[in-house]
Amino acid sequence: MSDTENASLSPEARELHDGLDRVWGNPRGLRALTVVNHTTVGLRFIITGAVFFLIGGLLAMLIRTQLAFPDQEFMSHETYNQVFTMHGTVMMFLFAIPILEGLAIYMIPKMIGARDLVCPRLTAFGYWCYLFGGIILTSSLLLEMAPASGWFMYTPLSSGEYSPGRGSDFWLLGITFVEISALSAGVELVVSILRTRTQGMALHKMPLFAWYILAMALMIVVGFPPLILGSILLELERATGMPFFDVSGGGDPVLWAHLFWLFGHPEVYIIFLPGAGIVSTLIPVFAGRPIVGYGWVVAAVIIMGFVSFGLWVHHMFTLGIPQLALAFFSAASMLVAIPTAIQIFVWLSTLWLGRPVMKLPMLWIVGFLVIFVLGGLTGVMLALVPFNWQVHDTHFVVAHMHYVLVGGMLFPLMAALYYWLPQVSGRMPSERLGRWSFWLIFLGFNTTFLVMHWTGLLGMRRRVFTYDADMGWGLYNLISSVGGFMMAAGIALLLLDIALHFRFGKKASQNPWNADGLEWAMPKPPTAYNFVSLPAIETRHPLWEDPELPRTIEEGRHGLANIDHGRRETWGTDPLTGKLRETIHLSGNSWLPLLAALALAVVCISLLVRIYPLAAVATVVSIVILLHWSWVNGAHPKMAPDATVAPGEPPLHSRTMNGPGVWTMSVSHLANGSLFLSLLFGWFYLWTVAPEWQMPATSPLSMPMLVAAGGALTLGTLWLVKLVRRLRQHDDTGLSGGLYFAAALGALQSVLLGVVIWQADLAPTETAHDATLLVALLYVLIHALLGGLLCLLQGLRVGYGYVSAEVPYEPVVVLRLWNYNVVVYWILFVAIWGIPTLLGGG
Amino acid sequence: MLRWVLGGGVLLPVVSIVALLLLGAPTGRGMLPLPLPGGEEVELIEVVGHQWWWEVRYPGDEDQNDVVTANHLVMPAGEPVDFRLISADVIHAFWIPRLGGKRDMVPGRHSTIRLEADAPGVFGAQCAEFCGAQHTNMLLQVEAVERDEFDAWLAERRTPPEQVEDHDQAREAFGEHCASCHRVEGLPDEFAVGGREYDMEGPDLSDIGSRPTLGAGVLPMEEGAIAYWLQHHQTLKPGNRMPPHDHIDIETLENIGAWLETLEP
Repeated sequence: MSDTENASLSPEARELHDGLDRVWGNPRGLRALTVVNHTTVGLRFIITGAVFFLIGGLLAMLIRTQLAFPDQEFMSHETYNQVFTMHGTVMMFLFAIPILEGLAIYMIPKMIGARDLVCPRLTAFGYWCYLFGGIILTSSLLLEMAPASGWFMYTPLSSGEYSPGRGSDFWLLGITFVEISALSAGVELVVSILRTRTQGMALHKMPLFAWYILAMALMIVVGFPPLILGSILLELERATGMPFFDVSGGGDPVLWAHLFWLFGHPEVYIIFLPGAGIVSTLIPVFAGRPIVGYGWVVAAVIIMGFVSFGLWVHHMFTLGIPQLALAFFSAASMLVAIPTAIQIFVWLSTLWLGRPVMKLPMLWIVGFLVIFVLGGLTGVMLALVPFNWQVHDTHFVVAHMHYVLVGGMLFPLMAALYYWLPQVSGRMPSERLGRWSFWLIFLGFNTTFLVMHWTGLLGMRRRVFTYDADMGWGLYNLISSVGGFMMAAGIALLLLDIALHFRFGKKASQNPWNADGLEWAMPKPPTAYNFVSLPAIETRHPLWEDPELPRTIEEGRHGLANIDHGRRETWGTDPLTGKLRETIHLSGNSWLPLLAALALAVVCISLLVRIYPLAAVATVVSIVILLHWSWVNGAHPKMAPDATVAPGEPPLHSRTMNGPGVWTMSVSHLANGSLFLSLLFGWFYLWTVAPEWQMPATSPLSMPMLVAAGGALTLGTLWLVKLVRRLRQHDDTGLSGGLYFAAALGALQSVLLGVVIWQADLAPTETAHDATLLVALLYVLIHALLGGLLCLLQGLRVGYGYVSAEVPYEPVVVLRLWNYNVVVYWILFVAIWGIPTLLGGG
Repeated sequence: MLRWVLGGGVLLPVVSIVALLLLGAPTGRGMLPLPLPGGEEVELIEVVGHQWWWEVRYPGDEDQNDVVTANHLVMPAGEPVDFRLISADVIHAFWIPRLGGKRDMVPGRHSTIRLEADAPGVFGAQCAEFCGAQHTNMLLQVEAVERDEFDAWLAERRTPPEQVEDHDQAREAFGEHCASCHRVEGLPDEFAVGGREYDMEGPDLSDIGSRPTLGAGVLPMEEGAIAYWLQHHQTLKPGNRMPPHDHIDIETLENIGAWLETLEP
C-alpha cells in the first residue's frame, strides 16, 4: 500500500511491516538470482513465457508467409520443417504450460490467503530449469539444427536412422529438462492448495480458480511422466541403440505414440483448465453475483480431469487401432463434451442472472466463449471416427486445435492479464488501446483459422511446405496469412498497451473491479509476504462479505502477526476443513536452486554433445547440490533460526509428524508412480503387441538374488516403520544407529541388484526385451541407492540434533520413499520375473 | 437455473452425441475390411509407403506374379477395394481424399482400409502423416477404371515384356548405375553388372513409361522428362534418396531416359 496510507497505521503495525520486509524482502543486484518468493518467481515465469510466445508467434508468421501463395520458395523444406516443429513445441511446452504455471504460482497463495508456496526453493528451481531448458531448445533454431519431425516426434522418423542430426536430441533433452519445472510446479501447487489455505477456508469455500489449478496440477503430476519416460527411452535408443521403438529389435513405434498421447491429451486439458478457471473467476465479478452452481463446476472439473486421461487414443484413430478400442475412445471423446457444456451453461446462466459490465477483461471472456465453443463443436466432429479418418492430419485439424487452444487458453489469459494487472502494478488498464488490440486479435484469429477449416476439407494436409497452384487453395491460404498478420499486429498493440500502462496507467483503487477474492485484500503492488496478517475465512466471497478486510489485514489484526522470530511463516491447515494445524516455516532466499539447475543444464548439454564423462561429473555435482539442499532443511538453523512459538499458536511443522514435506513426498510419488506405470505399460505393450518381440524361454534374471534384494528392502522398510512408531511415542533412543542400519540394508539391496544386472548378461542394444529389463532394473536400483543415502543422511542429522523426538519430521518423509520402493519393487518382480516365468516366456 | 445447466450441459450434448454416433457408426463400418454379405471376393491392392514415394503391388497367386508399379494406382470402379497398407521405413498415411478416410502405414504391421470409387475417374492421393523432408512431394495418382479395363491393365503387366534391341547401351548403363536399387522386368542378367538387391530401395521401373508422373508427383511424364529428372532430381525434390548423378555424363542419362520411356506394356 502506498506511503500515505501506511502513514495512518499505528507505530506497532508499521514496525510489523518493516520487520516482515526485512525477513521477506527481495535482495537486489546479483543476489536477485537467489530470490525464491512466489510473487517474483511467478512474474519471471510469466515474462519468460511471454518472450517464448513472441518467438513462437514469429515462427507462425514465417509459416504463414511461406504458405501465403502457392509454390513459394521463401523457405527451404528443411527450414520449414524445423519452423513448424518448433512453432508447436515452443507454444505448447515453453509458452502455454509455463505461463499458466507462472500465473498459478503468482496467484494461488494470494487467493488462498498464504504468504508463499510451500516449497519456495522448489519454485525457483523450477523456474531455472524452465529457463535453461527453453534456452537450450530454442538455441537449436539459431544453430540451424532444430528438431524437424513435428512436435509429437513420431518414431521412427525422429529416431537415429531417419533423423541422424542433433535435432531430436535437442527436443528430447530440452523438453525433459523443462518438464522438471512443470512437475515441481505441479507438486508444489497441489500441496500448497491442500495444506496452506488460510484458517477456515474449507475445500468447499475455496475459490474456484484454486479448484481448477488443483486439477491442473494433479494432471501435470500424473500426465507428464509418460512423456518423460518416452523421452528417456527414445534418447537411450538414439544414443546407445536400445531398440525400444525399432520393430526389427522387438520394439514398436506405436509405443511412442501411446506414451506421447498419454501425456499429450491430458496436456490439452492442463492448458484449458486454468483458462476455464480464469473464466469462472471473472464472470461472477463482472456479473456482480456469485457463480450459479459452484458444486456443478467443481464436479465438472473433477470429471474432466479423469475423463481426459481416457481420451489419448483419439489422436491415433488412423494408426490402426482395434475396432472395439475405436468405439470406446470415440464415445469417451464425445462424452467430454458434457462437463464442458456444464461449465459453459453455468457461465451463461451467471451472466444471465447478473448484470454484466463489459469492461476490457469481460470482452476477452466473450471472445473466449465464441471461439472456444466453435473449437468444441469441431472437437465433437473429430471424435466421430469416419470423419476423423477424413480430416485427420489436414488443415481442418490445425484450425480445430487453434480454436481450442487459442480460444481456451490465450483469450482467458488475456482476460486475466487485464483483470489482474492492477493487482500487479497498482494501475488501471486503458480501455481504448486495449479494445483495439482485442478486436485486431479476435478478427485476425478468426480470419486465419475459420477459413482454414475449409482449406482442410478441400484436402490440404498439415505440414506441407508448399502446394501446387492447380489445387486452388491459394486464395484461402492468402486470407489465412492476412489474418495471421492482423493478429500479430494486435499482439504488438497489446505489448505497447502494457508498456504504456506501467508508465501512464491511472492509479487503481483497493478493489477496482469490486471482486470477491483475497488477492484484492493485499497491498498493491504486492509485498513479498502478501498479507501482513492472515485472516480467518468464513465464506466463498470474503471481500464481498467484509469490505473492511484489506484494512484489518494491514493493521495486523489477524493471524501470524509477529515477526520477532525472523522466520518466514504461513499457516498449515487441514486439507478438508481448513482448521489450523501447524505453522509452516519456509525457506528464505538461496543460491541452491540456481546452482542445481546450472549443474543439470551442464548434464543436459553434455548429453546433447555426447561428452559422457562430463555428463557423469555434472550428474554427481547436481546430486551433491541436491543433497546439500535437503540438508539445509527442517530443523537446520538456517530454516528456523528461532524455534519458539507463541503460546496458543500451533506448533512448527518441522516439529510434527504430518507436515507439508510428507505431502510433497506423497504427491511426488504420484508422479513417480505414473512414470513407473508407464514403464510397466511399455513392458507389457511391447510383449503383447510388438511384431518382433523376442522373449527368452527362461528369465535371464536370478530369482534368489532378486528375492534377496527385495528382502533387504522389505526388512529395511519394516525397520523404519518401527523407528517411526517409536518416534511417534516420543522415544528416540538408538535412532541414529537404527537409521544407519536401514541405510546399510539399502546399500545391500543396491549391491544385490547390481549382481542381478551383472549376472543377467543382458544385450540391451540387441533386443527391446533386454533393454526394457535393464531400464526397469536401473529404476529400482536408483531408488534403492536413494533410499539408503537418505537414511544415511538422517542418521548424521540425528548427531547434529536436526532429527530427534522433538523434531521427528524427516524420518516420516523418508519412510514414504521406502514404502513406495517396496510396493514398486514387488510389483516389478511379479511383472518381469513372475509372469514371464509362469507363462514360460516365448 | 439448474434447468439450464442440466438441459444445456447434459441433455444437449447427450442428444447430439447419440445422433452423431447413430449416423456415423454405419459409415465407419463400411470402411472396415469385413466379408461382403454376398460373399464376393474383394480386390486387394497392397500399397507400401517409402520416403518419399509409393510402391503399389497387385498380389498374384501360384500361377501369376505380383504386378508391381510405383506412384500410380489403378483400381476397379463401382466395387469395394481393400487396400493393404505397409511401410518400408517411417510412418506414412495413405489418403485418397475424394474416396474417403486415411489410414496410417506403420512399420512392422499392416492395416487394411476399404474404399470404393462409385464411377471411373482420376483422383489425387497423398501421404497425410508427416514423414520427413519431402513429405510434401509424396503424391500418388489414382485411376479408377471399369472392371474389364482393370483386368486388361493387370493382364498386360503380367505378360512378359518384349525385348527392345536398340537400347543396349542404355540398358548396360542402367545395369551399371541403377540396377542395384531399381528393378526392370525382363532386364537380362548380363546387363546387371552393378549387382541386384532391389529390395525396396527404389521404385520398380518395369512400366514407368505408362505412369502419369515422375518423382511421386513432381514432374508430369512427357518426352524427355526422365532424362531431365535424372539430371536435376536433387533440385526438383531435394533430399530424395536417389544419389546425384554428377559423375554420369549427360548423354548416358539421356539414353537411359529415352529407354525407360519406352517401358510400357
